[in-house]
Amino acid sequence: MRSMLKASVAALATVVALTGPASAELTGDLRINLDTSNPAPRATMEAMIARFQAANPALNITTTVIDREAYKTQIRNFLSADAPDVLTWYAANRMRPYVEAGLLEDVSDMWADGTTIANELASTKGAMTIDGKQWGVPYTYYQWGIYYRKDIYEELGLSEPANFDEMLSNCEAMIASGRKCYTIGTKWLWTASGWFDYLNMRTHGFDFHMSMARGEVEWTDPRVRETFENWGKLVRMGAFVDDHQNKDWQQSLPFLVNGEAGAILKGNFAVAPLRDAGLTDDQLDFHQFPMITEGVAMAEDAPTDTFHIAAGAQNKDNARAFLAFVASAAEQTEINNGSNLGQLPVNATSSIDDDKFLKEGFAMLSSNSPGGVAQFFDRDFPAEMAKAAMEGMQEFMVFPDNLDEILERLEEVRQDVY
Amino acid sequence: MFPKPIEKSSRQWQIGYQVLLPFAMLLWLAPLIAVALFSIRPDADFSTGNYWGIPSSFEFFTNYGQVINSAMPRYILNSFMITLPTMVGAVALSCMTGFALGVYKFRGNLLIFFMFIAGNFIPFQILMVPVRDLTLDMGLYNTKTGLVLFHIAFQTGFCTLFMRNFIRALPFELIEAARVEGIAEWRIFWYVVLPLMRPAIAALCVLIFTFIWNDYFWAIVLTTGENAQPVTAGITSFNAQFRAMYHLMSAGSLIAALPPVIIFFLLQRHFIAGLTLGAVK
Repeated sequence: MRSMLKASVAALATVVALTGPASAELTGDLRINLDTSNPAPRATMEAMIARFQAANPALNITTTVIDREAYKTQIRNFLSADAPDVLTWYAANRMRPYVEAGLLEDVSDMWADGTTIANELASTKGAMTIDGKQWGVPYTYYQWGIYYRKDIYEELGLSEPANFDEMLSNCEAMIASGRKCYTIGTKWLWTASGWFDYLNMRTHGFDFHMSMARGEVEWTDPRVRETFENWGKLVRMGAFVDDHQNKDWQQSLPFLVNGEAGAILKGNFAVAPLRDAGLTDDQLDFHQFPMITEGVAMAEDAPTDTFHIAAGAQNKDNARAFLAFVASAAEQTEINNGSNLGQLPVNATSSIDDDKFLKEGFAMLSSNSPGGVAQFFDRDFPAEMAKAAMEGMQEFMVFPDNLDEILERLEEVRQDVY
Repeated sequence: MFPKPIEKSSRQWQIGYQVLLPFAMLLWLAPLIAVALFSIRPDADFSTGNYWGIPSSFEFFTNYGQVINSAMPRYILNSFMITLPTMVGAVALSCMTGFALGVYKFRGNLLIFFMFIAGNFIPFQILMVPVRDLTLDMGLYNTKTGLVLFHIAFQTGFCTLFMRNFIRALPFELIEAARVEGIAEWRIFWYVVLPLMRPAIAALCVLIFTFIWNDYFWAIVLTTGENAQPVTAGITSFNAQFRAMYHLMSAGSLIAALPPVIIFFLLQRHFIAGLTLGAVK
């Protein structure tokens, strides 16, 4: 039974997802640790686990839900002291410390060429890969991009910018009308790094951005400076709202809602509060961050949440079956729909909700992001580097003339960190 | 040193005082008023930037209903289950330590007393890592017992100082008289000293209750889950992954603030006595 399971995990996924318990019943235990502590995602996850339980009635599933923030500090602890079988976490560099400490199970077998997972989840294979091996499966992600006030753009006769020059000229028109181009709240720093991600990936491309993340590029490199200079053009013309360093991202939304700013660079999670605030889908629209350097392939930020198997797990076969279940198109469709997570399924054969922004995001990520999919600055860069860099970026957005000093400081940090 | 009563100042001063007072109070209470206002706002008001204006709709029942139907009652119960045993434990222990240190003269008395006080001089943040490791090793991490034991241990220092000084101020003749009668020492403690300590015990109970109820630091260091976390730490569970739910957190904080406020008004006399007891001998 067990060896058969191991041999045909991919086939099993289909069996479990489509035909139910009849042919492949799992027995024994399965311990799952979740960080989805907020009410809605929690209900989603619990419902998904209940479906897995229904498909495998003989399986004894124990679920532990840990507060999302506390989870981040506890993960190392429980992985080494009291390993669950399955756990939630994040892709790319965020899983690197645990991979390097040997705390996560290598699941490359599930990603082998020709398996369902390899075919259907190809867009995130890179994000799940460290040292040529895969260490988990993704269950959801969401797009980043520019959410803008279509009604204001139309009023000023502007259209979605196709390149950086149009972006700047749009912005000039916006400023001339007494508005700001972009709202942002950099109090918690990460919002600024979203701008850096895009400006850097559009100026020099995904591969350059990732080699920076790996610490292979000096921060004082002229190419990095070029990215910051593009950013500086926006900062110096007054594109961003004033006093952004004192606002969190939610406090930056009123500018967009009240028409004092035209757009925001943000993840898809901004849509819900903007709709709550009364913006209709006719007023709010989405476009991909425009091209800056011609010929550089478009790449996107799409933070990915994942499931992993602990290296110390007791029930790895059951855990693999669960991961395959999570990766299946049917489950990904279900857990990502509007009444659940309201995000994008990673499985390319999943269907998505009839939601304007999810559709645009799904189309963008599956067909218009040839350069690659990044995880977001603070997930791609090591924590210490990210912290120092994000502080520098916030400073740059307030005092663009301090650039030299900031870059030199960041270069010192880079030499310490890597 | 003491402020002159306002009735004794000139008419202009009195008018100025009366005009300024409401404004000063408004300013002083602004954060609290904001929280109260936030707690009846709909979520959308935070996205439209309507922080201080009239709420766009009145959501008192929705917000508070949501709070009551969430894990909040569980967290509040946890708070009680942490606060009350701590209060009883710390006060009971310190009555005994205070009696021992205040009544008996033995070598090292002062040294032991100083060690109790010394605990209060350690900034508790530096204890964070060792205490966490200790509770983890003892299997008490993320349990109410762990939090209670730590609080008792840490609060007993301050309580002992308080009790010892109070017992010192009692007329020693009472104890001597009891000894002359040949009463056992524990009976002296129980029948003579303890009844005299009642005001100190009441004052200390109120103080410790508010200290522990409002503790946030240890709550997030030593506990993580719904099963053990008190309300101060649990309040953030309203937040969604990306969004802070200001309206629900405000409503939750107001509910969480009620028990200490009620206790304060019920035992106001003791509370003030408690703050001044150690000061004026």
